[in-house]
Amino acid sequence: MVVCSVVVRRLLAAAPAAPRHVFTGLRWVTSTPVKFNERKYTDKHEWVQVDGKIGTIGITHYAQDALGDVVYAQLPDPGQEFSQMDECGALESVKAASELYCPVSGKIVSKNTEVEDTPGLINKSCYEKGWLFKLELSKLHELDGLMDEAQYEKFLKTDDH
Amino acid sequence: MTFWNQGKALGRWALRAFSSATRSSRSATPKTVFISQSDDIFANLALEDWLYRHHDFSQHRILLLWRNGPAVVVGRHQNPWKETHVGALHDKQVVLARRNSGGGAVYHDQGNLNLSFLTSREGYNRRTNLTVVANALRREFGLEATVNDRDDLVLNGNYKISGTAAKLGRPNAYHHCTLLADVDLDNMKGILNSDDCGIETKATDSVRSPVCNLSSMHPGLNVASLMGAVGREFLRSDDRGVDLGKSAISRQLGFTLVNPTDDWFPGLEKSRAELASWGWRFGRTPDFTVRREFAVPREMCVTEGAKLQVQMRVVKGRVASMSVTVPPGFVSNAPEGEVAVLSGLEGQKFSEEAVGLVEAAFAKKDKSDKKKRFVAECVRRVVQ
Repeated sequence: MVVCSVVVRRLLAAAPAAPRHVFTGLRWVTSTPVKFNERKYTDKHEWVQVDGKIGTIGITHYAQDALGDVVYAQLPDPGQEFSQMDECGALESVKAASELYCPVSGKIVSKNTEVEDTPGLINKSCYEKGWLFKLELSKLHELDGLMDEAQYEKFLKTDDH
Repeated sequence: MTFWNQGKALGRWALRAFSSATRSSRSATPKTVFISQSDDIFANLALEDWLYRHHDFSQHRILLLWRNGPAVVVGRHQNPWKETHVGALHDKQVVLARRNSGGGAVYHDQGNLNLSFLTSREGYNRRTNLTVVANALRREFGLEATVNDRDDLVLNGNYKISGTAAKLGRPNAYHHCTLLADVDLDNMKGILNSDDCGIETKATDSVRSPVCNLSSMHPGLNVASLMGAVGREFLRSDDRGVDLGKSAISRQLGFTLVNPTDDWFPGLEKSRAELASWGWRFGRTPDFTVRREFAVPREMCVTEGAKLQVQMRVVKGRVASMSVTVPPGFVSNAPEGEVAVLSGLEGQKFSEEAVGLVEAAFAKKDKSDKKKRFVAECVRRVVQ
């Protein structure tokens, strides 16, 4: 057995630090404005639908299917502020707590209390009744780096998700 | 490139081990077994969290082995007052912790081994991990364990010897589980209660199962021998849990003792402090309502079988609102006194502080007023 803090530090320092988020080659710079109510997607399988400066956020069908039955939804509270890709809550399903990441920076405006009472709504209706929270975007340009529906469908077909 | 350079600094054996590991089957990611030298539950949870947040697991897997002094560990979204008698833990020298993963409440002591399998999100597979543990038990102790549909390890089809929970993030994830080597089961049963304490909540429940110690099936088995057995099996298995043979062990990165301190893992102390804080352990409890009824002594009311009900709404671990419903004839004069005391409870932490406030307030009043003392006693029993 090796007992050495130097060994451990080198062992862990050898590998690069875990990236906060990866947009491996899927970042598209677009000059066309975001259409009203078009859903945008992240590589963490979350969607955001923007109306003016307010974005509604939820998880995709792929994500809810992978989770299984959601038994508890821990959502961020109104007033809390997050940067893009901050951990902002969790969904629990059969002993696993899956992190929720904030897809865009902003301040939470409201959370879906119906989903808190009935977490199964996320599985049944992940794009409609199963929305998770709404926030006021502080950096609208972050939407440019997210995928549109066609790009997300293509992403799902790759091995990297 | 950096890893190769660092590998040389580690020593010839490590470099050979890593290069052999990468040359061998693509499905055998390089692996290390870390053994924590601390028995502080909060430091160990902080260590697990540090590795999850900071390490790149795309080309590396870690099995972290750890144990700690007596503790009740509740799942991320659980209600500790529903899982155990919180007020009694201090006298029993048992601490309460809340972990970051889901699942139910477990009891730890020095006879329990904790295993954390840290991987990338893509590498997460808890059945594979449990299969590796079952293989270790069979190979070194001749014990037959199976994985049931709740992902619990069960001995002889009946007795649970391990509970599982997981945290899934991106890019990393971990699956951790307990192993009952030689735990004080009487203590455990006394501490993990399922009494009806009148709590209504959306918090996740625990599912109770009959348990047994591995040492009862294999005398002499203890945490130390388990660590070696499971560690070796982890190192000789590929990513799907398939055994690659004893020689595979020497091609891996071996066992390392680690110390969960800031010196070894910068920023760990801050995480430890957060995990040990009241705000995390109790303040993160999902909102709940507690409702209890108490039989009123005959001499205090006009009817037989009268009940007094205390109801509290607790938000983020503090009393948000409270009401007391008294039977007819109970309140004779000056009810305002009780109301004043009870409204002062709002905002107080559910438990110790609330009890202290009730006791202090009633100590000032007429001690001979039995009704007021009875109400105070009922409130105390709800909170504890």
